[in-house]
Amino acid sequence: MTQINPAIQISVIVPVGLRHADLTALHHDYRQALDETGRSYEFVYVLDGVIPDAGEALEQLLRSGERLTIVYLTRLFGESTALMAGFEQASGEIVMTLPAYDQIDAHEVGKLLAGLGAADIVVSRRWPRAGGPLERMRRSTFHALVSWMTGLKLNDLGCGARAMKRQVLEEISLYGDQHRLLPALADRQGFRVLEVDVRQSPRDRFKGAYRTREYAHRFLDVFAVFFLVRFTKKPLRFFGMIGAVTLAVGSVLILYLVTERIFFDEALANRPALLLSSLLVVLGLQLFALGLLGELMIFTHAGGMKDYQVDRVIEYPSAQKSA
Amino acid sequence: MPRPIPIASTLSPSHSSVRLSVVVPFYNESQNVCRMHQAIVQSIEPLGVAFEMVFVDDGSKDDTLELAIEIAKADPRVQVVKFRRNFGQTPAMAAGIEYARGEIIITMDGDLQNDPRDIQEFLTKMDEGFDIVVGWRFNRQDKLISRKIPSRIANRLIGSVTGVPIKDNGCSLKAYRASVIKHIPLYSEMHRFIPAMASIAGPRIAEIKVRHHARQFGKSKYGLSRIYKVLLDLMVIKTVASFTARPLLWFAMLSMPMMLIGVAMLVYASAAAFRGAVMSLPIAGTGLILLAGAVVLLSSGALAEVVYKLGDLRERDFARLTRRVRRPALAND
Repeated sequence: MTQINPAIQISVIVPVGLRHADLTALHHDYRQALDETGRSYEFVYVLDGVIPDAGEALEQLLRSGERLTIVYLTRLFGESTALMAGFEQASGEIVMTLPAYDQIDAHEVGKLLAGLGAADIVVSRRWPRAGGPLERMRRSTFHALVSWMTGLKLNDLGCGARAMKRQVLEEISLYGDQHRLLPALADRQGFRVLEVDVRQSPRDRFKGAYRTREYAHRFLDVFAVFFLVRFTKKPLRFFGMIGAVTLAVGSVLILYLVTERIFFDEALANRPALLLSSLLVVLGLQLFALGLLGELMIFTHAGGMKDYQVDRVIEYPSAQKSA
Repeated sequence: MPRPIPIASTLSPSHSSVRLSVVVPFYNESQNVCRMHQAIVQSIEPLGVAFEMVFVDDGSKDDTLELAIEIAKADPRVQVVKFRRNFGQTPAMAAGIEYARGEIIITMDGDLQNDPRDIQEFLTKMDEGFDIVVGWRFNRQDKLISRKIPSRIANRLIGSVTGVPIKDNGCSLKAYRASVIKHIPLYSEMHRFIPAMASIAGPRIAEIKVRHHARQFGKSKYGLSRIYKVLLDLMVIKTVASFTARPLLWFAMLSMPMMLIGVAMLVYASAAAFRGAVMSLPIAGTGLILLAGAVVLLSSGALAEVVYKLGDLRERDFARLTRRVRRPALAND
């Protein structure tokens, strides 16, 4: 990890994927907006995979004297990994992530930075937002799911414009597609999360259709974060619950079959219910065993884990203590 | 990973001039902070022990923190640890223990229900050579139905499962030898089970009667809501406390009945086939399921063995720890 450079206040990380706008124009927009805030900044562009035209444009900017760092990833890793790779090069006290295509009106970045006074991470909500009723429904379903599972009510997790204190990314390591759920993970670590309304860029329209796979991925991401947030330290609460229910259903069924066999002389042999019930019992036990295995993992690694995040320690030294 | 700066190493208590640390977590206790501080000071100062207080602010929403800081300004023996947000009682205790510098650590609630005047007796017990001394609120001032009865049942259960018969696990007033408690992982809602967790290290545990006052100010923060959590946590303790050294055995025991029944059913079904009768499909199938389940459980056990091997916490570490503990009496200080 790079050292903090006091000359730079804000590090802007732009992960560039296949979907990107004209980077020259975008860079100038962002730059202009950051100049307006009057703070010092640096740009880190992360090329996620081989994107020749984007690389070209950035090299061009570099040659023309722009102060920016370009990180080339060897192949497509995804936005989360790109963000982490960018963060490794970032030296500012504040880290901003900005999308590589027009999502927000660039002049709104000041709003995000202003929000950092009262929060540790500021995410943006494109508002007012374009989109038909179907799109709006899809969005609100996703966000309702997230808020139900993680307990954090946000409205635009898809927006890549965020500002945060350096510490947030130092404590959270993202992987997979978790960048969308960064605020939920930050909240879990005890950081204050704030959502601000920003103007949407008029060019922000996603033309393609989402494939079913996208939906499945999104759902799995939410589920993974849900599990991480709620049950990392207590896997048995999760597996145990499911296991106990399965086990109970199976046992009741077995009890019923046995009663019938003993008191009503109903033969066991020709009953498929026997298969089902023993399957349930076995499954329940296995889920329980998984939970215990998880607990064992946590226990043997608990030395390095903490359930709490200390904000600061306040103490007034005296002669007695220094002695 | 940024980690809080360790203030004093537990393994070298001789570098620390503090003998006793009193850890008190506060959550929205603005009415109690000052009273608590006074009560602690009044009851320990006459004992002539070098002590400090660690006040943990568990993300209070009232002015508990400001008051605690005021106290710290006036009294250098007070250290305030501020949480980023509310994390709960176990984390608060764990943080307090982490930042405590004394050789002996006493934890207590911040709501004045525990009485600091009992600290003296805890110290006496510790000097007798016990590593953990737990308080027993023998005349508990709480509601009977919602608090006392469930707690009595839970304590019985905890005692019989963990083999550490303590009458009152829920009492926050406890004293620990720092070298023991600092090596016990405290996570999730384990504060209830610290003695049981500690029993992995095999320390000497004593229980003494303590006073208990009814709540004067502020609101109670628990209720009867977590039977199932306590039950599951108990299973976890049982697993980690008694089987960590041999996880395979534990899983093997789980799988054994399944394996036996499965084999018996298979034998029964095949015997019928040998006699020339029709083989019973449900029975043979059930036998196979049970057998397969047993094999999977056994594999989990093998995996557990790997997990344990790769983890950084071992039973023998605990053993090494307690063997080393030998200390001078209070009067020699």
